[in-house]
Amino acid sequence: MGGVAEPGGSLTVVRAARPPGGLVARGASDDVPADEVFLVVQASGAVTGYCGHVDLGTGIRTALAQIVAEELDVAPDAVTMVLGHTEVAPNQGATIASETIQVTAVPLRRAAAHARRVLVRLAAERMGVPAEGLAVRDGVLSADPSGSHPWPENMLLTYGMLLDGRTLRVRLDEAVPVKDPAAYRVVGRPMPRVDIPDKVTGRAVYVHDVRVPGMLHGRVIRPPYGGFDHGPFVGCSLIGVDRDSVAGLPGLVDVVVQGDFVGVVAEREEQAEEAARRLRVSWRQVNLPDLSDLEAALLANPSTPRRLLDRGDVDAGAENAAIRMDRTYLWPYQMHASIGPSCAVADWRGGRLTVWSGTQNPHMLRADIALLTGLEEGAIAIVRHEAAGCYGRNCADDVCGDAALLSRTVGRPVRVQLTRGQEHVWEPKGAAQLMQVRGGLRADGTPAAYDFSTRYPSNVSPLLALVLTGVVPAATPAIVQMGDRTSVPPYGYDNARVTVHDMPPIARASWFRGVSAMPNSFAHECYIDELAEAAGVDPVAYRLRYLPDERAAELLRATARRATWMPRSGPRRVDPAQRVLRGRGVAYAQYVHGAFPGVPAAWAAWVADVTVDRLTGHVAVTRVVVGQDSGMMVNPAGVRHQIHGNVIQSVSRALREDVAFDPAGVASREWGTYPLLTFPEVPDIDVLLMDRQDQPPLGVGESASVPSAAAIANALHDATGVRFREVPFTPERVRAALDAALGVFREIEDVPQPLPQLMPAGPTPKPAQARLRGWVGLAAVGTLLSGIGGLAVMASPWRPGIAPVARPDPARWSAATIARGRDVAAAGDCAVCHTAPGGMAYAGGLELETPFGIVRSTNLTPDEETGIGRWSYPAFARAMREGISRDGHHLYPAFPYTAFAKVSDADMEALYAYLMAREPVRNAVPETKLAFPFSLRPLMAGWNVLFHDTRPFAPDPARSAEWNRGAYLAEGLGHCSACHTPRNALGAEKWRGAWLGGGMAEGWEAPALGNLSHSPVPWTADDLFAYLRTGFSERHGPAAGPMAPVVTHMATLPEADVRAIAAYVASFDTRAASPDRAQAVEQAAAIRARDAAWAGEGARVYGGSCAACHEGQAPHMFGARPSLALNSNVSADRPDNLAQVILHGISRPATPGVGAMPGFAASLSDAQIAALMRHIRVTYAPGRPPWEGVEDVIARIRAAGTGEPGTGEHR
Amino acid sequence: MPPAMVLTVNDTRHVLDVPPDTKLLHVLRNDLGLNGPKYGCGLGECGACSVLVGGRVARSCGLAVGDVADWPVTTLEGLARDGVLDPVQRAFVAEQAAQCGYCLNGMVMTVRALLNVDPAPDDATLLAALRGVLCRCGTHVEILRAARLACGLAGGTATGGEAA
Repeated sequence: MGGVAEPGGSLTVVRAARPPGGLVARGASDDVPADEVFLVVQASGAVTGYCGHVDLGTGIRTALAQIVAEELDVAPDAVTMVLGHTEVAPNQGATIASETIQVTAVPLRRAAAHARRVLVRLAAERMGVPAEGLAVRDGVLSADPSGSHPWPENMLLTYGMLLDGRTLRVRLDEAVPVKDPAAYRVVGRPMPRVDIPDKVTGRAVYVHDVRVPGMLHGRVIRPPYGGFDHGPFVGCSLIGVDRDSVAGLPGLVDVVVQGDFVGVVAEREEQAEEAARRLRVSWRQVNLPDLSDLEAALLANPSTPRRLLDRGDVDAGAENAAIRMDRTYLWPYQMHASIGPSCAVADWRGGRLTVWSGTQNPHMLRADIALLTGLEEGAIAIVRHEAAGCYGRNCADDVCGDAALLSRTVGRPVRVQLTRGQEHVWEPKGAAQLMQVRGGLRADGTPAAYDFSTRYPSNVSPLLALVLTGVVPAATPAIVQMGDRTSVPPYGYDNARVTVHDMPPIARASWFRGVSAMPNSFAHECYIDELAEAAGVDPVAYRLRYLPDERAAELLRATARRATWMPRSGPRRVDPAQRVLRGRGVAYAQYVHGAFPGVPAAWAAWVADVTVDRLTGHVAVTRVVVGQDSGMMVNPAGVRHQIHGNVIQSVSRALREDVAFDPAGVASREWGTYPLLTFPEVPDIDVLLMDRQDQPPLGVGESASVPSAAAIANALHDATGVRFREVPFTPERVRAALDAALGVFREIEDVPQPLPQLMPAGPTPKPAQARLRGWVGLAAVGTLLSGIGGLAVMASPWRPGIAPVARPDPARWSAATIARGRDVAAAGDCAVCHTAPGGMAYAGGLELETPFGIVRSTNLTPDEETGIGRWSYPAFARAMREGISRDGHHLYPAFPYTAFAKVSDADMEALYAYLMAREPVRNAVPETKLAFPFSLRPLMAGWNVLFHDTRPFAPDPARSAEWNRGAYLAEGLGHCSACHTPRNALGAEKWRGAWLGGGMAEGWEAPALGNLSHSPVPWTADDLFAYLRTGFSERHGPAAGPMAPVVTHMATLPEADVRAIAAYVASFDTRAASPDRAQAVEQAAAIRARDAAWAGEGARVYGGSCAACHEGQAPHMFGARPSLALNSNVSADRPDNLAQVILHGISRPATPGVGAMPGFAASLSDAQIAALMRHIRVTYAPGRPPWEGVEDVIARIRAAGTGEPGTGEHR
Repeated sequence: MPPAMVLTVNDTRHVLDVPPDTKLLHVLRNDLGLNGPKYGCGLGECGACSVLVGGRVARSCGLAVGDVADWPVTTLEGLARDGVLDPVQRAFVAEQAAQCGYCLNGMVMTVRALLNVDPAPDDATLLAALRGVLCRCGTHVEILRAARLACGLAGGTATGGEAA
């Protein structure tokens, strides 16, 4: 501990270690360590303060530095605070309960005062004057101007000079006098935060930014009991880990398994992600508690009553009430929802462990890790860095345990970053809470009784690795008594009883801002509002009658005055025909933290204004006047900032935050399913700071949150006449209650009607090449068979092989021929099917799903053994045009030789040249084996007779050269219809009537083109050109799925050819539309989205998961911004493509500038995606019928995966 | 091996030997040692990973590095010129617009990109641009003041009270 002083001279203030009571970790040893350092003053003049609490983003670092600067009389920028490093900072327990300033800073303040006394005495000795005769300013000593002692002219004496060459160590005098607040110069003044300049430039080193030489990257794979940390299944549900599933992955270092703890370590971060995604882990089935009915779950949870207050005669009071009012209030599970998922770096070497951590409680974490690893606490150093803000216990500690286990196994430093989903699912939640009140009103309007009980299922949340590994048994959870915060109402009810039902957690839960006090106050403050209403008394005046605490009363009066509160004796009259209702509510609370009876923090009062939209149920908090009495404010700017933060966060919690659960556990795994308040919804906030600079400082980190939900609920009642006793006040909950109370609200004039369906203008043109068999119909086949000799030859089920040749020397073709062949290959998209995911181009192996089974594409590289290296040109051309392999066996028409028959000789030879000139790739693709009868390849001869037209392309002289060129490319090489035309039962394209009518490819719908399209606006040649050239059309959307690589491979095709294809295909879309139709479609959708009367889960998911990239115009954002209102897939008959893109995303766009879309398979459940898709369909494809069986489609596409290895379900 | 890629970040050309589908965020943080862009959700929902690609703001957690090689990339570290902070950064310091600061990168980069395409955005445009950038500490009041200051817009959402 002595190592913190530097040579050159210093003064160190120490105190005998005094580990805190209260929350003590399981691994804490009884050995009380040596002295702890609180302050060091260096001969350089630098001052370092040490505090066991950490800065969670509240700016406490700045406030602590102000305290040191004040007591020591140095400039604030001379002070550096070291927070939470276990090697150097004192153990002062967890940074909780807003007590850093109020409690934890006390010894620090005294240490600074003590240091000043020592230094001033040194100066007095040196100057030969009494200490009382000296003054200090910014570390410079001088004679006290009020004194009579002279000070030599030009004599400079500083703290640093006094310490030069001396090393002093003093034991803290706990009785040292501290300054009179009246003399404060630094404390109590607004002070810019010391950390912001570094944060705004990227210089700040968060724990996420820690890099250690030789560092590896780890990821963890969590068990299937998502967000539950106790129960008989915890620590013992792993069946096995299939290490082969990740064998050979580049960069993989190790797979670590201990109990239910599973992690992977790799050289690079993306390699660790890939390994975590691919690792096959099997788990036992677990049955989690049912949380679909929170109230029932809380009532059923075993509990022990603890009576905190019993005043008067509650039972008699309630029984004799003139108006009996028994009420139940329910609070949901909520999450810290830190914006950065937790991260840590651990380095285990030589029997010592260093952990770089964003922990809230460094010393407690050190003890936990000692228990986890068996190391002595002294062998573990926790180096604390700032992290994403937390508002209680999130996964910051858990990830340290994970990193420690991984580093121990691999013997190198490991950085572990949790995923967004892991942080959401596993962070200890703010617990659900049930508050019940029995009571009522006497005839004279006074409260008859207040019998309050509360249920808070939460504990400290053991370090996750401790229970996953089984080091700490998890069958029975610990119970802590934390449900009692502000459980005693502030009002002087004659007959009052308070009972806290202490209970174990259900889902993993721990402390979260306003711990249990926020729900308790929600009940207290809603209830007194009802009492006031029943008594016919203004709610502010009624509160003041029963508020014995004069500072509280003064705050409430001042806040009401600031808000221009208009006294009222009942709710306003509600006009049921009015769409937007307005109301105002009040609430007051003092946050009491710590073990009962606890320590009161700052007082806070709210006046909230709300609007309620009857149509949607949407509640907006438009203005909050918030008053706070914080006692002395060390940094008033910091206090104001904390109040703003509390108001915005608590409005978000009251209006929308509610952790979803399903049978797999926590089902809120990203921001769409756990949405936060956004900028446009931020209320106008007016902060009233009570001037109490002469009073002791109080914690301000949580107080302003506590009255929030009650003030909003009371405002909602004022607006609507309806009491809301369950948080959050979501649109569906509010609308249902208002519809029940006021009648269903219908406002029809503003709802946009779907635009009329597009109608073709005139007959649809016929395709350039009416494919013979399909077009004339099967009846003609017999005639053809008997009449055309060539066909008879083709129909032979047995075709001769063509002798292999030596691989042709590419030098025999000109560069121009080979270049032409490259364009032909591009137009034909050969590589799209003949390249496997992650495989070499043209080397084959892609699995194509057909109704008849899996067809594997072959190796088109000139490898002599496994490719086409020994194919002669005639063998190649025959395969291309007739579907006969070199050795004579029939190919399946998944290979579109039916289209390639139209390819000209010159193009065919150029293509052959191009393929033969490529590098051979040895890749033996397993032969396609379809089930009987399709396994009988000779049957394809008959198929060809029925469906294959071998005639070459013939241009239509009535059409332009561009159109004919487009036809040649689209129907021949491009084989558009192979995917975009439906196939009959035998797998042949249905050209008659259904040409370009849409088909399926690799689990995606190839949408209908031309007049059969369901696109909201017609496809013009310009639209198609943009789409085919860039992979994106502003009026239709991006190319995705199998179409994206088609566009990519067409990149080398000359522009004229792409224009020709676009012109040809667009000529089949004759649907007439006004020029402003796209705009009209988007405008109508915007109104529908705003007025989402169908608001519910789908709208919520859309808002949080999709809107950032899909909503509105945003020219400042990179990449395409696809309009869902114009997207063909949203209007399609089938939901497949929308489900595909939501589940699997678009990781590589067709061309770089389009941007990417993430897949949500690991983040959203089938039910959540189905809700989202229903919302998108009804909002952005009005007039189209709802999709049937959406859940089945989602499940099927999820099961099929991306076609790449791994589950894609890395949770 | 695929050919090496050249990526220009903060005016410096880097030759990268990584697969082109490596996420830009990982390359910036792990290969180039930049700390401005942060991992927040990996889903493009929160904006913590924002960078400028060709002057427009992009969420680097979802972009493959191979898909941005055609444009210059700028991170939070690259906004300052010759040691002078970008006006957007100055505004955030002036308004003390951070609590934990983890989301700050997304806020600053979004406002910077907005100003790149619209030197005088109106308040509704600013709010819409920031809508998809998430802050959990509730620093919205200070962030909006800073953003409005940078955009030359008057006023803040909160009126800011004085002591009673």
